[in-house]
Amino acid sequence: MKSVPELKIEGLQVAIEGKHILHGVDLTVRGGEIHAIMGPNGTGKSTLASSLMGHPKYAVVGGSASLDGENLLDMGVDERARKGLFLAMQYPSEVSGVSNANFMRMALNSRLGEGNEMPVLKFHRELQKKMKALSMDTSFSERYLNEGFSGGEKKRNEILQMTMLQPRIAILDEIDSGLDIDALRIVAEGVNSLRGPEFGVLVITHYQRLLDYITPDFVHVMMQGKIVRSGGQELAKELEARGYDWIKEELGIVDETVTADK
Amino acid sequence: MNDVRELSSLAAEVQREYATQMDPTYVMDIRMKAIQEFEHAPIPQFGKSKLDKRNLDAYSIACDQQLSQDWRVVAKSYMDENANAPMMVIADGRVVHSTGLDSLKEHGVLALNLRQAVMMYPELVQEHLGSIVPFDENKLLALHAALWRDGLFLYLPAHADVVTPIQILVVTTKGSQGTFSRNLIVAERGAKATILEVDLADPLIGDEVHVGVSEVIVKDDAHIKMGVVHDFPKASTNLLLHRAQVHHNAQMDWVIGEMAEGFTVAEYASLLVGEGSRSTSHAVALGSGRSHLNLTSKMQHVARYSESKTFARGVMKDRSDAVFRGFTHILRGASGANGEQNERLLMLSPKSRADAIPMLLIDENDVKCGHAASVGQISEEQLFYLMSRGIAEQDAKQMIVWGFVDPVLAKLPVDLVREAVVRALERKMS
Repeated sequence: MKSVPELKIEGLQVAIEGKHILHGVDLTVRGGEIHAIMGPNGTGKSTLASSLMGHPKYAVVGGSASLDGENLLDMGVDERARKGLFLAMQYPSEVSGVSNANFMRMALNSRLGEGNEMPVLKFHRELQKKMKALSMDTSFSERYLNEGFSGGEKKRNEILQMTMLQPRIAILDEIDSGLDIDALRIVAEGVNSLRGPEFGVLVITHYQRLLDYITPDFVHVMMQGKIVRSGGQELAKELEARGYDWIKEELGIVDETVTADK
Repeated sequence: MNDVRELSSLAAEVQREYATQMDPTYVMDIRMKAIQEFEHAPIPQFGKSKLDKRNLDAYSIACDQQLSQDWRVVAKSYMDENANAPMMVIADGRVVHSTGLDSLKEHGVLALNLRQAVMMYPELVQEHLGSIVPFDENKLLALHAALWRDGLFLYLPAHADVVTPIQILVVTTKGSQGTFSRNLIVAERGAKATILEVDLADPLIGDEVHVGVSEVIVKDDAHIKMGVVHDFPKASTNLLLHRAQVHHNAQMDWVIGEMAEGFTVAEYASLLVGEGSRSTSHAVALGSGRSHLNLTSKMQHVARYSESKTFARGVMKDRSDAVFRGFTHILRGASGANGEQNERLLMLSPKSRADAIPMLLIDENDVKCGHAASVGQISEEQLFYLMSRGIAEQDAKQMIVWGFVDPVLAKLPVDLVREAVVRALERKMS
């Protein structure tokens, strides 16, 4: 597992309830890289995130996706996670009666595998340390999973899980929505703390703001369920300054959403 | 006594069976009246629970005289786990084991089997026996009043405080033809105790009818907690009626673990007759196989400032079906009363069924009443979320189910019930 991770997406097509949403996405994310996918609402960004994780609502109707050479699409949701894929969700579920700490311990031990479980005390020490780094009150560990958490608390809890699980590839789906500037900085630090050759990130966001704190190596623009433009960090800056219309004009796109007739 | 020839054959049989067991006249009189009621009364209706489709002739009047040792097999693990607890074991209608009950006498507490108590303490028993659960309420209760075999009699004198829970283990073995247990609990002013009844049966018993009754009288300022854990096998037909009368400033707590795999109609009721009386009911139920459960928690507010809280969680797997009824009745004159209900049911399989029916009957203006009820399935989003962290589907489902029952399970006011429910859930969920 010391190798450099690689998430490889080729020609991925995804439908929901029979409606085509992704029309062939090509993207490769390697360890050490940070990719950002930007784009207006309704262009398929979150669909890409959820379908890579294996959400049952989304059906892959074409193309392929692999993690470290293994076919992701053949794996169950839990198996994808155990192989090192992580999705920080836009709307994390609330689960009543399940404590945050118990859930995380179960998740971590699933990831570490039978026989490699982390001892209870060590787990709690790690958890406390990482909660502190994210400026989370320690009472969060005993609260029911996400229940009654504010939007910002839920996002921090997603990042907490990520730093505990130490995935190989993390997808952050609009992790910045609902965060104030201080929280944004803290969350970004959490992501940056994992940076290294064994960790790759795919950041999905509307706004350039997050990218001031998590500096991307590659920026992609998504429209009509495809990546229509890729570039470096300067592309994000340009989008911030000029919006998306110039790209639409250049590409002759009138309606950028996935529902647009092609 | 009537001449035997004037009685129906059933009545004659009851007469023969119980008179020879030296029941006093006041008990025999009720038995004889009850058997007549049984012969004429219609089969009770409990909504979708079709009792008339069950074999209601599957009982026998006489107790099997040959007491086998089969009960030990059924009772063993529970008895081992509670080896030092004050406990009475009743197997097929007879007391077969008793520990730690005599020593309670030092404090004036009487804890013995009811059949003996009706003879020894008529001045304490006669007034209360049948006072809350009348023999003519329905056909099966009439049958029970005619045939009841044994159970616990607990008398707590004023201000007695029994700290250790008193346990009754009611065991039914193959071929015993009906449980018919009966408890009578009388708590005088300011007395406190916790009672736990555990109903277990041989998994191979047939389609017999089992009726269990408790009457609990909680006098002024007294506090009784009663737990009932019921786990009966699939062919059985069960009617349980546990009822309390709660006096001035007194409290009654019901704690229910319903795990039966057969057909069960159960009612737990508190009659809040004293000003400032309180009652809580916490129930956790698990349906499995083709079990049918009709569980009613009934809070009858007669007096002013009476309060009740009802919490229930039910998990239905396989082809089980369940109806949860929360029934809060605030009678005219019970001003300042407060009744709350919270019932939630989770269906784990597409073939399971569940209904939550909160009923609030309010005949008084100045009251507070609230209810929340829901029936649902495991949410796809929750499952996806847990699995997206590497947790396998089965484990994730278990987490959701445990989480679902936890808000009630964690608050069960009797530890022994919680432990018994946890063990049963672990066994039946795996």
